[in-house]
Amino acid sequence: MIGTELRKTFGRPRTWVTIAVLNALPVLVAVLLRLTDLAPRPGEGPPFLSAVLTNGALFPLAALAIVLPLFLPIAVAVVSGDAVAGEAQAGTLRYLLARPVGRTRLLVAKLVAVMAFVLVTVVVVALVGYAVGSVLFEARPAAGTSVSGTSLTTEELAGRTLLAIGYVAVSMLGVAAFGLFFSTLTDSPLAAALGALAVLVTSSLLFTLDAASPIAPYLPTRYWLAFVDLFRDPVLWRDVVRGLALQGVYVGVLLTAAWANFTTKDVTS
Amino acid sequence: MSGYGRGRRWAVLAALVAGLCALPAVVAALPADDADVPATALRDAVLASAGVGFSGYAVSAGGLTLPVSDQLPAVADLLSDRVQLRVWWRGEDEHRVDVVTAAGETGVHVDPAGTWTWEFESATAERTGPAPLALPAPPDLVPAALGRRLLSEAADDELSRIGARRVAGRDALGLRLVPAAPAASVARVDVWADAATGLPLAVQVVADGASVPALDTRFLDLDPTPPPAAVVAFTPPDGARVRPGRDAGGLLAEADRRLTAVPLPAELAGLPRRTLAGAPSSVGVYGRGVTLLAVAPVPARLARGLQAAVRASPDALVDRRGVRLAAGPLGLMLVERPGRGTYVLTGTVTLDALAEAAGQVPGGAP
Amino acid sequence: MTAVVSTRGLVKQFGRVRAVDGIDLDVRAGDVYGFLGANGSGKTTTVRMLLGLVLPTRGEVELLGGRMPRAGRRVLPRVGALIEGPAHHRHLSGAANLALLDAAGPGGRRRDRRRRIAEALDQVGLGGVGRRPVGAYSLGMRQRLGLAGALLRRPELLVLDEPTNGLDPQGIAEVRALLLDLHRGGTTVFLSSHLLAEVEQLCTRVGVLDRGRLVLQDELARLTAPTGATVVDTPAPERVRAVLDGRVLAADGGRVVVRGPDPAEVNALLVGAGVPVRGLALQRPTLEEVVLAAAGTSADRVERP
Repeated sequence: MIGTELRKTFGRPRTWVTIAVLNALPVLVAVLLRLTDLAPRPGEGPPFLSAVLTNGALFPLAALAIVLPLFLPIAVAVVSGDAVAGEAQAGTLRYLLARPVGRTRLLVAKLVAVMAFVLVTVVVVALVGYAVGSVLFEARPAAGTSVSGTSLTTEELAGRTLLAIGYVAVSMLGVAAFGLFFSTLTDSPLAAALGALAVLVTSSLLFTLDAASPIAPYLPTRYWLAFVDLFRDPVLWRDVVRGLALQGVYVGVLLTAAWANFTTKDVTS
Repeated sequence: MSGYGRGRRWAVLAALVAGLCALPAVVAALPADDADVPATALRDAVLASAGVGFSGYAVSAGGLTLPVSDQLPAVADLLSDRVQLRVWWRGEDEHRVDVVTAAGETGVHVDPAGTWTWEFESATAERTGPAPLALPAPPDLVPAALGRRLLSEAADDELSRIGARRVAGRDALGLRLVPAAPAASVARVDVWADAATGLPLAVQVVADGASVPALDTRFLDLDPTPPPAAVVAFTPPDGARVRPGRDAGGLLAEADRRLTAVPLPAELAGLPRRTLAGAPSSVGVYGRGVTLLAVAPVPARLARGLQAAVRASPDALVDRRGVRLAAGPLGLMLVERPGRGTYVLTGTVTLDALAEAAGQVPGGAP
Repeated sequence: MTAVVSTRGLVKQFGRVRAVDGIDLDVRAGDVYGFLGANGSGKTTTVRMLLGLVLPTRGEVELLGGRMPRAGRRVLPRVGALIEGPAHHRHLSGAANLALLDAAGPGGRRRDRRRRIAEALDQVGLGGVGRRPVGAYSLGMRQRLGLAGALLRRPELLVLDEPTNGLDPQGIAEVRALLLDLHRGGTTVFLSSHLLAEVEQLCTRVGVLDRGRLVLQDELARLTAPTGATVVDTPAPERVRAVLDGRVLAADGGRVVVRGPDPAEVNALLVGAGVPVRGLALQRPTLEEVVLAAAGTSADRVERP
């Protein structure tokens, strides 16, 4: 079941178009940066972008930071919102369930497929970022500088970059779970994706609002930028661990909600 | 049978959500063990904690909007924003405090010979020598350092115990300081000190008439073991810009040479004059503990800028004695002496006390 | 005969609308069961309840001896279904669609999947369709592909909802031949349709649904059994009435209905009396008449109150 869902996701041209579009933005930013040499002012713009001019090896991180706030969650919302609602709209859901495929199994397989999509997307963004960074900027892979001003060896930098890729992928799980849950509520993939995006926009907005600070630690987008903490020295695990736990809670709750709704739902599409 | 367990399934979800929502409340409600320690003994324990090494993560929330945000943006941000601090403390003259922001950080590494300040965004490392007087810096916001400083001159009758609570997962004993001086603008200072080591874990400064603290700094994580020296030390990385920082001591000496010293009275607004190591002789410092008043002549150019900034504030009070303004417990007053330059009076005193002091400064309107 | 599909007091309520209102279906092994009903009479909801897609409000569904929806995992692999038109992934070829569907669930060995897909495509006449994506198929081709999906695992029971939808007359005839062929091979067919002619040509048993209620369920042969009257086709109906006084039940132009289950006897009487007879036949009700008699007005008709 998981295999067929993976085949469905990655056998679909739309998936690869999405990934290509997602990579276009960092590449555009890199080209503009190269042509103008105008780095964002310190403290502004995406993390690591100003550091890229001196070390192209940091561009994978800058690329992730560029797509993280908007492009990546939109892509994840669209793909996860399509998961069940897309099958319902196309009518293939009834054939899958009559095949029969257990509804819980279907949900889990869909989540795994969305997770695989997220992981592949993030890795592709990082790889393209690395290629672009090495071609356009002076890459100094010999060593790097941590955010705290200490020197990192190549292995440390590579290891932390891998951790950051993993963390960004996990950060998207909450979005995926929202998309999947909404996807079981409606037969319209668009409505499900928009629902997940509405949650994200709300969360991002509340995060900037002082009045919402009591609930800020529970917002799904709260710890997204914590991947930067992996490049402090020593690593600041606090927010990373909280971010992982929070995503776990969201996935657990929303998957339970999706399960409660979907397993007792009348499939009339 | 009916509904195919629909209700049961949603009940599972509701139970899960309820359990997760209750978790923070349950953790927060964990009772703290109080110990029968008298207030003065607790103060002594706090003051004796200077040598305790630790590492931790602290958050400081300041509500002080200073009128000097143009002149001193770094200080203004430090006191008016929410600041996240990572702290590694081996001693008063060997520690490291990183101000952590979403996309960067500023690290202050203090060693016996001076201070390295690393700023990630500009990849700059600044080296400054030791100075007796300096502007507020991130290490000053660390609850342990701030608590010790605020309690250092507290009199026995100003102190009381206020129970215990849990801070950073540890039992913290409460100690309240209510300044006795009538001029004081600080209503109270609450210090929550670690029952085991005496380290202040949380400090709240509440201004007269305010309901929320003007400054609230607390540890969220604390590990009371000394951190390794390698973490605290700093070596500028390859490719970083290295430059000497502004020498605060030199600046003060310079100011002292330029400004004509004026004889200041021995007492202002009921506060006795005191000496402060490193302060230029033209600056008069009055008061004790958390009630302090500083009087200094300012150069004409700086005075004009300050005048404009203070007068622009809607809360500024202007009368024949000068213009004055309060930001939380911090008061600021500018007194113009016709033909003799401008004085600035600032400190943790009430606006009335500032006005009274202004009348006592030589040349000020009575 | 064992029951293949049986429901007891099946009810489905959508909000305040009762789509299915207490029906007791009884489909036996070897039947070609025609499930007749107007649009909106609850046919599709019933079919979905049989397959566990819609959960009944009340009542029970037993499919191949298992209680649905719980037994779905055990019995559904033995059922092939075409539910409310075919549905496929448009960017994939027909064979790829069938492979995905086959791989998704239990039953059907992986090793002979290619062979089974090829056979199913041959059965529905799509053997030579190649790698064209389904998006480029005609409506009839998609209908055939949907049928191939239902046949993929050689099911004991075929549940088909409007299987000839979108097919041209040749296609309809082909599908009918295919279903009859499968039936001869022992497959039970549950055919849901609003086309009387289709059901009349194919089915051995008929159930008629009207506004959520099963108003009729019987053998087709019994429903259309002779009524005990003979229909006489004659140019002289008034002379028939004179000869067979009292036995004439109805007359409509040259068509006279006469009581008497034996056309030979009626013929002998009329010919003996010199009445010209053009034709004689046993009177049988058409399925349409039976259905119209059992069901009320059309369900999608909305009367002024």
